[in-house]
Amino acid sequence: MTNPLLSVRDLRVSFASETGTVDAVRGISFDLEAGRTLGIVGESGSGKSVTSLAIMGLLDENVRISGSIIFDGQELLGKSDKQLSAIRGNGLVMIFQDPLSSLTPVFSIGAQLIEALTVHRALSKREAWARAVQLLETVGIPDPEQRMKSFPHEFSGGMRQRVVIAIAMANKPKLIIADEPTTALDVTIQAQILDLISKAQAETGAAVIMITHDMGVVAKTADDVLVMYAGKPVEKAPVHELFHRTRMPYSIGLLGAIPRVDKAEKQPLVPIKGNPPLLINLPNACPFASRCPIAIEACHTSEPDLVDVGNGSVGEHQAACIRSHEITDGGLIDGRPVFPLPPIPESALAAIPREDRPTTLEVRNLLRRSLS
Amino acid sequence: MPKDSIQPAVGPDTTALRLPRKRMSKWHLYSRRFRRNRPAVAGLVIFAVLVLFALIAPLIARFDHTELDFLSLGEPPNGDHWFGTTSAGNDTFAQVSIGLQRSLMIALAVSVGTTAISAVVGTAAAYFGGMFERFTLLLIHFLMVVPTFLLLAMFSNDSGGDWRTISLIMILIGWFFPARVIWTMALSLREREYVHAARYMGVPGMKIVLRHMLPNIGSLLVINFTLGVVAAVMIETGLSFLGFGVKIPDVSLGSLIGSGANTITSAPWLFYFPAAALTLLTVSMALIADGLRDALDPTSAAGGRA
Amino acid sequence: MIVVATNLTYFLAWGFLDPRNNYVGRRPPLSEAQIVQLLQPRNLSDTVPLFERWWNWLSGIVFRWDWGVSPVGQSVNEQVAYRMWVSAELVLGATIITTILGIALGVYTASRQYKLADRIGQATSIITMNINIVVAALGIVLLAISFNKMVGTTVFFVTGSASPNVTGFFPIIIDALQHLILPTVALVIIGYAGTHFLQRSLLLDNINADYVRTARAKGLTKAQAIRKHALRTSLIPVATQVAFTIPTVFMGAILTESIFGWNGMGRYFLETISKNDIHGTVAIAAFGAVLTAIGALLADIAVVVLDPRVRVS
Repeated sequence: MTNPLLSVRDLRVSFASETGTVDAVRGISFDLEAGRTLGIVGESGSGKSVTSLAIMGLLDENVRISGSIIFDGQELLGKSDKQLSAIRGNGLVMIFQDPLSSLTPVFSIGAQLIEALTVHRALSKREAWARAVQLLETVGIPDPEQRMKSFPHEFSGGMRQRVVIAIAMANKPKLIIADEPTTALDVTIQAQILDLISKAQAETGAAVIMITHDMGVVAKTADDVLVMYAGKPVEKAPVHELFHRTRMPYSIGLLGAIPRVDKAEKQPLVPIKGNPPLLINLPNACPFASRCPIAIEACHTSEPDLVDVGNGSVGEHQAACIRSHEITDGGLIDGRPVFPLPPIPESALAAIPREDRPTTLEVRNLLRRSLS
Repeated sequence: MPKDSIQPAVGPDTTALRLPRKRMSKWHLYSRRFRRNRPAVAGLVIFAVLVLFALIAPLIARFDHTELDFLSLGEPPNGDHWFGTTSAGNDTFAQVSIGLQRSLMIALAVSVGTTAISAVVGTAAAYFGGMFERFTLLLIHFLMVVPTFLLLAMFSNDSGGDWRTISLIMILIGWFFPARVIWTMALSLREREYVHAARYMGVPGMKIVLRHMLPNIGSLLVINFTLGVVAAVMIETGLSFLGFGVKIPDVSLGSLIGSGANTITSAPWLFYFPAAALTLLTVSMALIADGLRDALDPTSAAGGRA
Repeated sequence: MIVVATNLTYFLAWGFLDPRNNYVGRRPPLSEAQIVQLLQPRNLSDTVPLFERWWNWLSGIVFRWDWGVSPVGQSVNEQVAYRMWVSAELVLGATIITTILGIALGVYTASRQYKLADRIGQATSIITMNINIVVAALGIVLLAISFNKMVGTTVFFVTGSASPNVTGFFPIIIDALQHLILPTVALVIIGYAGTHFLQRSLLLDNINADYVRTARAKGLTKAQAIRKHALRTSLIPVATQVAFTIPTVFMGAILTESIFGWNGMGRYFLETISKNDIHGTVAIAAFGAVLTAIGALLADIAVVVLDPRVRVS
């Protein structure tokens, strides 16, 4: 293995709140090599966004961070805002979740793009302009020359996300962190944006951290996957391994909560019951235990560590579950699914043909005109 | 993400762990947040002291505020006259306490009045809409164009210096600006589900305004009230200082400062004491308003600070 | 709106002011007929029906731009034309200083939220904002007098807007500054805090905005991102507010002018009301209304200049 581009060791983030200290990230470690994509998956509040902001150094100053983040041979933690700003936007870039709010509304697209270029290198006005137009063209903005002078509100969400990606690509980054880049977009645009990120990755040879709660996005983009729960990684594996040999009940639950169109019979979605715990004064127990259908007494007495499971090399597939060795491929335990399928509620009306059912609401020729 | 609250059969219920250890009542939380804001507490203490002073001082003062002590004219503070005397022999201590009382009464009356009128008119305009809303807004905009201080001065100059009339005039002219603010707030309430629900259940309009909409802008009203006190004190002082407000024999802080201004070099104590009382009053009230805003508004900047 | 407001003020003024009062106490006492004789040519006699008086007044304005005369015969036009600039000298300077100081402090304290500098700035501002203008102005007068005494010469003038018999370009400017400085300081002291708080809270709202984070992710330092991206966006409402406060500042100058003895619009306001000068009062109301309109217009212009979202639509 070559030297990883990014190496995170035991990263912990906590901050004060009204009700107590929130431990948003409670020890996360991973390595990422150039050109590869790491998917970080989890529910909202699982610490995935905080992790990415910690790497970027964009967290508030009153947040406590410990551990180590080594990017391109440099330790990032402990660097001043000024030192970090030389790295941010240059080697290390980020694409944010909401393209509608991530561009400054009062500056033109061109100005914002040129700013990203000139903040890191001395360029003449004309060079910067030409390079910016070229970037817009790369991300597929039609009429880039004209669009340079447009303002963000004149762009659709998908177009704005393209601009954000263009800004990210501006200085040929080594690592792109994409924090839920498609969540705020229409389904039809999502695939285009994911393709564009792959294209950007191919063009720059960058590594990508893809943060998402969407297992579909992970399957499409990631090489390795890190599943996070309650501020901790609970399962870590190459993408195929994770999808086929899931070893942690939470990951199984996440996979079960996605609708499948490839199965013929009508199968109910399997919900994970309950909500993730608040990350304040967590007891020494598996944080997922209360929602876990296969939890046993021991789960409530100590928090399991991330340990090697499966038969790959050391560190290839890890899970944090004391029963992971009992779980077999396809999310089964003792031959039965970890998440029991809920019965499909049979409607009393199902037996009656539609035309015989009583009318609840009848609408005929409804029109609405506004007066003005 | 499934948001099912049913817990699995296995394991203890963690929802209890996720809530703060004991549920604080709303008021408890408000008062705790308020007490944590030290300037606001200081403001409250100063305000309480001023109120006590206004209530008790006239009782312990050795002179009545209209009484003239011809043996001590224009004297600086001394054992007999704690705050000194005016050139006519009035006891400044008695005058300041009565003036403070008067200014406080005017300010409170005006702020209660304007807050009540603006709250009802603002929310009703937002709720009923149509002609009523249009007419109200027209009136508000009209009053915003006219220099209101001019109207105030003109009316209260005509009132003969009675503080009750002045308060009434200040209420009549002062309600429109807060009403506009409240109207904007209430507009968003109009579309809330519980307002729709109440309307579809057939609750009469005025009752919806009073029982459903007003309580929901309660915190705004409380803050408006405290800020209204500050504004009323300021305006009353301005009017009385210029001689349009409270008139002799009655005194207010404004009229005292006004007469003190004439002798500011020869008898500065006539300026110092009412000016100090006035400044303490407005600053303390502003600090209280600030604390209330932080305590009542969970989205305020200080809300997230432990 | 301005027209309606002005006309309404005309009728209101007749309801509360009586030009006759100026002659009632005269010695030797004037007879009823004499008073009417004096007032009638000035369109101020209540022997003429109100509607006719109103029509005379209005047509004078519409056709000759003549706002009438005071009960003693002074032309309102002349008074306003002269006093307007006296007030403007005071108000414009104070507004500019107030705005710049307020914005600068807002940016400075917002970038240091909850740190010592922020707390001190907030505490000072909340106090100065709530000091009555009367107290502030008189306090400054006291300070200036003792300073003058200490230095032994009059550095600051506490009354008037200019000294008589000053000639030469620089002496006039220096003299004007000596008069201007105290009332301006008084207006700034009570005024800057409003802008400071608004700028601070707007900036704090914007500091955590996604686009500021994007700007930092691009490689700007936090301070650069705030100064360039957050400040520019948050300036829009600040500009609007400043434009809207112009009439308020003018009226706030009433007290300042009367304390510092400036013959501006504020002083005029006092005189017209206490001398039952109906035409003058109405002219001031109209002046205030026009200022409000100008303020609104300036606010619109500021928004259009600063906000591209409005520029297009």
